[in-house]
Amino acid sequence: VALENTPAVHNMVVCTLCSCYPWAVLGLPPLWYKSAPYRSRAVAEPRAVLRDFGVELPPQTEIRVWDSTAELRYLVIPTRPEGTDGWNEDRLADLVTRDSMVGTGFPKRPYEAAK
Amino acid sequence: MNGAADMGGMHGFGPVQVEANEPVFHADWEKKAFALNIAIGVANIWNLDEFRFARESLPPPQYLNMSYYGLWVATLENMMLRYKMATPEELQEGRAREPVKKAKQPVTAAQVANMVRCGSPYERPAPAPAKFKVGDRVRARNIHPKTHTRLPRYVRGHTGEVVRIVGCHVFPDSNASKRTEDPHWLYTVRFEGRELWGPDSDPNVRIAIEAWEPYLEIA
Repeated sequence: VALENTPAVHNMVVCTLCSCYPWAVLGLPPLWYKSAPYRSRAVAEPRAVLRDFGVELPPQTEIRVWDSTAELRYLVIPTRPEGTDGWNEDRLADLVTRDSMVGTGFPKRPYEAAK
Repeated sequence: MNGAADMGGMHGFGPVQVEANEPVFHADWEKKAFALNIAIGVANIWNLDEFRFARESLPPPQYLNMSYYGLWVATLENMMLRYKMATPEELQEGRAREPVKKAKQPVTAAQVANMVRCGSPYERPAPAPAKFKVGDRVRARNIHPKTHTRLPRYVRGHTGEVVRIVGCHVFPDSNASKRTEDPHWLYTVRFEGRELWGPDSDPNVRIAIEAWEPYLEIA
């Protein structure tokens, strides 16, 4: 299932019970995803967890946390960065990071793109 | 079971530690641990839910002190003992003493690679119509089975809303303990943060889980 981030709604994914993760698309999960700090806190204080990643969201942005307790897998579609009007799919794809698809990071900004 | 694996809402683990430029594996033995676990999954000696139950059954002090792949290896050892594929002495010494037990079918590298990519499907034909519909208010039952369950503690007794009917899926609780698939309807249920974490929590947070029908009652 794909979850679209917007300025109003930020989605992030966790597996509190173990380490369920969309292997087929993102590869094996990083250690932090499987770690006790992330699994324990992502569902209870997601805004604070995002701060650990350097992601600061305004309080009016709703955070939706998806705890993958079954075999359904979630992918976040990050918000399209400003300044990318007219970019084609390849250029946009270059901005997408792993963390932005788990919901713990923003995509790269246009000036960070590999030329 | 209420084991160490069910961590949602626990305190005291500290901040999330992010490793820059993290490698996929941190040591060669982790690659072997990963491959062995997938291969033995393909051999279908035990099912995924039995394996998860065995992993969360590790005593909490051990579970919380082990590395991720360390947990996999410890679980694999326990399962091999349970299924009489190895003896404690063999595990201790790291060499076989008894004749090797063969799987029912040979496992090929292609099957293992496919399992990593695709997993194994858990959707099944429905034995009955779904009891709940999107928009229904449902309560997660206040149950504390000592056997495997995928209903996290932090939602039990709380009321949420059905936001998706996922389909009819193998029921892990039965699959882990009785090795029967016992398929049930699976729902995505969304809870308000304050319903789960009380009046002092962030008012602008919602948390969704997947819940099988036996976990839920109409609210």
